[in-house]
This record gives sequence, structure tokens and C-alpha cells, in this order.
Amino acid sequence: MKKILIVDDEQDIVESLKFVLEVNGYTCFCAYNGEDGLKLAKEIIPDLIILDVMMPKINGYKISRLLKYDKKYKDIPIIMVTARSQEEDKLIGEETGADEYITKPFDLDFVVQRVKEYLKG
Amino acid sequence: MAKVLLVSDNKSYIDEIKSILSLYEVVVSSDEVLIIDILKVENPDIVIFDCDIDTIDFKYIYRQIKEFSVISILLLNKKTVTKDILSHANMFISVPFTPTVLKSSINSCLKTKKSLVKLSKSNQELASSLYQLNVLYSTSSQLAGSLDKEQLINIMNDGIEKSLNYNMSCTLTFNNEKEPVLLLDSTYSPTERLVESLKLRAVMNYKSRNSSNNFEINIQDIKVEKKVKYSITEYDFEVLNFDNLLSFIDVNDECHGFTEIFREKEFTLEDSTCFQTIVQQVAMPLKSAILYQEIAATNKKLENLEKLKSEFISIVSHELRTPLTTIKNSLDILTSGKIGELSENAFKFIGMAKRNVVRLSGIINDLLDMSKIEAGKLDFKYSLTHVDPVIEYVKNNLAGVAKEKNIKIEYLQKTKDTNVYADTNRLEQVLTNLVSNAIKFSPEKGKIKISSDVIDASNIVVEECFQPDIDRLSGEYLRVCVEDEGIGIEKENLKQVFDKFEQIENSLSREVGGSGLGLAIAKQLVEAHNGAIWCESVINSGSKFYFTIPLANERNKFLLAKRQLLQKAKSTSSTVLTVNIKAKTPLMDSLMKEKKLFNEVYLSNSLLAKNENDSTLSLAIIDGNKTFAEFLHKRVIETISQNKEKYKNCDIIYTYEIEGVADEKNSYSR
Repeated sequence: MKKILIVDDEQDIVESLKFVLEVNGYTCFCAYNGEDGLKLAKEIIPDLIILDVMMPKINGYKISRLLKYDKKYKDIPIIMVTARSQEEDKLIGEETGADEYITKPFDLDFVVQRVKEYLKG
Repeated sequence: MAKVLLVSDNKSYIDEIKSILSLYEVVVSSDEVLIIDILKVENPDIVIFDCDIDTIDFKYIYRQIKEFSVISILLLNKKTVTKDILSHANMFISVPFTPTVLKSSINSCLKTKKSLVKLSKSNQELASSLYQLNVLYSTSSQLAGSLDKEQLINIMNDGIEKSLNYNMSCTLTFNNEKEPVLLLDSTYSPTERLVESLKLRAVMNYKSRNSSNNFEINIQDIKVEKKVKYSITEYDFEVLNFDNLLSFIDVNDECHGFTEIFREKEFTLEDSTCFQTIVQQVAMPLKSAILYQEIAATNKKLENLEKLKSEFISIVSHELRTPLTTIKNSLDILTSGKIGELSENAFKFIGMAKRNVVRLSGIINDLLDMSKIEAGKLDFKYSLTHVDPVIEYVKNNLAGVAKEKNIKIEYLQKTKDTNVYADTNRLEQVLTNLVSNAIKFSPEKGKIKISSDVIDASNIVVEECFQPDIDRLSGEYLRVCVEDEGIGIEKENLKQVFDKFEQIENSLSREVGGSGLGLAIAKQLVEAHNGAIWCESVINSGSKFYFTIPLANERNKFLLAKRQLLQKAKSTSSTVLTVNIKAKTPLMDSLMKEKKLFNEVYLSNSLLAKNENDSTLSLAIIDGNKTFAEFLHKRVIETISQNKEKYKNCDIIYTYEIEGVADEKNSYSR
């Protein structure tokens, strides 16, 4: 069973993603802030990470960078979720290493489709 | 009483002369050194030389005498005198002489001396007036060149000091925070108690001025700034007994302070006039300086407000999108069937909620786009774009929504597939906005027709209100039209529909809703492509919305890039200098080869383009300055001179355009 890590400070969003992904047969782990997310990622080594950008203290871009520059975790596909406000647009230009960006509000079916794409085989 | 110095050793002469000139003070000497001393100390008016004297070297004496304003009389006697000694004397009396001759000679010499002294005094006064005038002139010019309040007061005080040489000056002004400041400029250091009394005097002076708008002034609030020339000595209350001049600094009917100067030597009428003139000169530039300060402060406030607004919209958008995501997700899960079957009604109402989430999402996107456009932060990625596929894509995207009202969308291609230079996504956005508007305002079963053609700017015909937009266009454009059979727009509202948040008041638009930003955004996007947007309409029959995008060619590519450069310049407060050179083709080709050089020198802040049609070469650079334009001029001349034969009939016309923010270092005339 493939493991997916969901990191987002919005509990509601985490819950809806968790529901839909579990229905599709994935095991979901959840973290509600950047620090916990990073810790959990290193603990369980998921097959895919869904990462929110705007989080207090440590944002998604930083986490993505940290993981992608680490030999152990660089191959884990990261899907970033962004509300695409001006500040974030600026940061998107930087090297964050995420594999995909999805804007809020997103289509759940679309997310599931993308996840399946990354985790096939 | 006049003083006479008699240089002689002849006793009989001495006695005789002394008795004749009994009314005058006569001093006698025959010693060279003593003579010089007497001249220095006694200051005789006249010197009588007895040429018989052997002990004196006349030449030497005369040389010394030149420094003193004395009249010299020679007594000529038997001994012959050299020509050049003669040339130094003012008058000659031959020996023997009569008393009358001597007396009258002395008188006439005294009169001459008096006139000379008067003349010298007049000259001095004239010189002093001229000097004052010069100071006044230079002070005026300096005052005219400054917009800094503090600097203006300093220039004024400098001018007063130079022209009047005061011992002390007290200037009361008010700084930016409306606090009173007393500037003391003094030769010697003022004592503490003198400063205190000057402060009191300042308050009394100021309060005595009966103007309608006086500033508040309390003695304890006065800030004192001292400038002392020689601090080793002190000034005390004696300064208050010196002669003084006072003048108030008035701007309109507000008293902005005063200047009072003290001088031991009395002030003349000229001094007073000069003083008053200088202080009056300050009034006008002071008014400008104050206005300038206010404008600068207002501008700063506006800038901050703009920034705050942008930040606000950005944060709000983020905060709105997050809960919207959850609502959408929940609704999607409900309709996915994965948590059980839904009744028909439940499905219907959840569908309604979902549609409104999409609507809300669109409105937030519009708001965000608008704020980005206004902040000049919307980045465009221009590329060669085929228009047909874009139109097809939008048509298909909105087919679903149109179907709900039984509306059919048609695309009529009037010309071959045309290429434009545009940001494909934004082009799509413009079309989407226009077509969804058409759908919104069309009746059931209506038809929407999209068409495109190529047209030259000079052939475009529009309503008067749109003419200025069309006048900006030149060359060939792709024109797209979105036509509907909707309710139409009143003639007087045609231009307004493109305004922000503008929704024409009628029952239909209230039903239809929307952010009111769709057309405003479309307008900004089209104009960012150097195009234009407009509409035609007949009430209850339908409307036609048009927009033009420049065709893909070198020139348009350059113009778009230049527009982006201008945006960049605006955000960094710099200027863009565009140099247009019109010349014959062989020269243009040669200059285009220079492109590499220009790009190396000016890198990403410059663009170079050649216009095929009117053989104009354009170079635009950020922070362009005159030096670079001249450098370019030189390069062109060099290129020509290196190939005289080739370019012998070349006419070169240069035009320079400066756009963007002009500040002091960049300001120069076109």
C-alpha cells in the first residue's frame, strides 16, 4: 500500500484529501505544520507528499528544498498546493524542486489523477 | 584746520612761510626719515618742498609720498630741477614769492584736495552699492534654484551677511514639525543671558506681527542654533544697543518668521533697502518650497496606500481561497457517490452550491488579477501565437455554459490563420471574458458569433468615445469580434462598460452578477499588448465587442518589449531613453550588426529593433542618458565615415523620446 504524507495547516483540507485518497486505496499520514511534516517525512519516508505552501514558521518551499537536497528523500514526488497570491508567485520562480503546483481551490478528482500518475508502477 | 609740512633748511624761508601761513598748522623738517614719519602720523594736507635742499633725495620722497593723499608744492629757485621731479609736483611757486601767491596756491590746493576726498568717498559708496547689488542678484538666483525650506533661509542669511556685514543676526523660522527655531549668527559668542533675552525678543517680535494665520509660539519651545565666528570673545547685552534692522518673512498672509540684524556701525538707507529686498525675495521661493514639501508628503502617502491596498488584496485573496477549497472539496466528495447515494433534490442543490463556488472563485481571481495589473506586477510572456487554436479552445470551454441557455457559439474565420505576438494565456483570458459576458447577456436560444480579420489601424472606424484609443494604433492588427444578440448597451454607457466594477444598472445585470471586473481586466490585458478594445451596440438587438492585437513582426515585438521595459523603469523610478534613427537601408543593416555591441554594453536593459517599413532603427535603454545618446550618435557617424562611398547619400534623422519617471539627475529636455 502506497504511503502519502499530507502537510497543510488547514485541518479541513487535510481531511478532505485524506478521505478521497483513502477511498482510492492509499494510506495517508497527516501533519498540520511544517516542523511536524518534516519530522514525519523523515520517519515514514512516504511515496508522495502533498505539501501546502503558506504555513506559519516554516513554509512549503523550504520543506521542499530541504527534502530535495537530501539524498535520502530527493526522489519522493512533491505536489505543492498554493493559493497563488502575489508573494507566492514570487517564490515560485525560485528553485524549490517541487514536481507539481496545484492552485486552490483544486479539483479533488484532478488531484487523485495526478497522484495516480506519480505513483503508478 | 589744514596742516602743512614744510621741507626746507633755509631759516629765512621757514620764518617767512610760517608767518604767511599763520592760520595753518605748519610743521618743518628736513630729514628724510622724519618726513616719512610726519606724513604717517600728522597727515598733513599739503607738503611744500624747498628745492634748494641738498640733503633730500626727492625721487625717494616722492615714491613714498604716493601712498599718502597729499598735495605737493614745489618752490622753484635758482637751482635747476630735473624734469621728472617736476612731473611729480602738483604746483610750482617760483622764488622769490609774494605772500598772496603762496596763500592762494595753498587755498587752491586745499580745494582740490577736498574735491578729491569727496570723489574718493563717492567712489567708495558706489563700490559698496555695486557690491550690494551683486549680492542681491546672486542671492536671488540662488533662492530661485532651491526648493528646500532650510536651504532658502540659509541662502537669505548668507546674502544679508555678505551685503551688510552685521555683528549678529537672529532669524526665527519654523521647521517641518512647525516648531520654532531661532538661528543666531554672531561674530562673537553670545552669553547665556543674551540668548535668553533674544528668545524673549523673538517671541515679542513675532507676536507683534498681526497676521491672520500665525503659528503657535512659546518661549520654552524655541530651539536655538548658534553659529559663532570667533568664540574666544563674548557678546553681552551691548548688542541690544547696536543699530538694528528687522524684517518679517511673509508668505501670502502667513508670517513664517522674521530676521533681525544688529550692527555697531549704523545702517544707512541703502543698507535698509538692501536688507528689506533680500528678505522679500525669499517669500516666493518659500511658498514653492512649502508646496513642494506638501506634494512630496502626499505622494508618499499615496504610494503607501497603493502598497497597502495591494498587500490587502493579496492577503484577502489567500484567506478567501482557503475556505473555498474546503467547501469545494466537501461538495465534490458529496457528489462523488463515495459516501452514499444522493436524492435528486440533494444532487440539484449541491450542484447549485458547486456552481457558485466556481463563480466565487472566478471573482477572487479577477480581483487578484486587477490588483496585480494596477501594481504593474502582472508579468507577460509574449511569444508567437496562432490565434485560431486559442479561439477554438475558448469556444469549446464555454460551450457547456452556453448550452445551459441553448446558446450556440460560432467562429467565422475571415482570414488565413494569423500570427500575433502575444501572451497566449492572457489572450485566452480576454476572449473568455468577452464570450462569457456575451453568454450572460444573451437571451435563451441566442447565437454568439466570433470572427477575426486583419485590418490596418487607419481603416478602423469607431464611436467618438473610443477614437483616442484608436489614435494610438499604427500599422496592421488582427481584429477579433465577439457578437451577441443580447440586451445591448446605451450609447452613453459604451465607454463606461470598460470601467472597473462598472455594471450597467438594469434588472438583467443584477440577476447575472459577477465581479464587474471582467471587461476592465480585458481592457488592461489588450492594452498591455499595445492593442485596443471597444464596442458597438443597438439596444435590444445586440452588441459587438472588438479588440485588436498587433501582428507578429520585428517592430511590434520591439514595441512590446519596450513596454515591458517601461514598466520595469516605472517600478525602479528610472527613465527609458528611446533613440530612433531614420536612415537608408545599407546603414541600418550595418547598425544592426552593432546590436551585439549594444547588448554587451547595456545587457538586459536595452533592446534594438529595425522597422522594415519606414527604415527606422530604435534603441531603447533603461536609465538612458544624454551621454549614451551622444555615444550612439558618434558610433553612427563612425560607421558612416568608415564607408563613405556606401553611405554617401545617407540622411540621418535622430529623434529622442524620454519616458518614465524623470527625476533631477535624469531631467533634460526632449
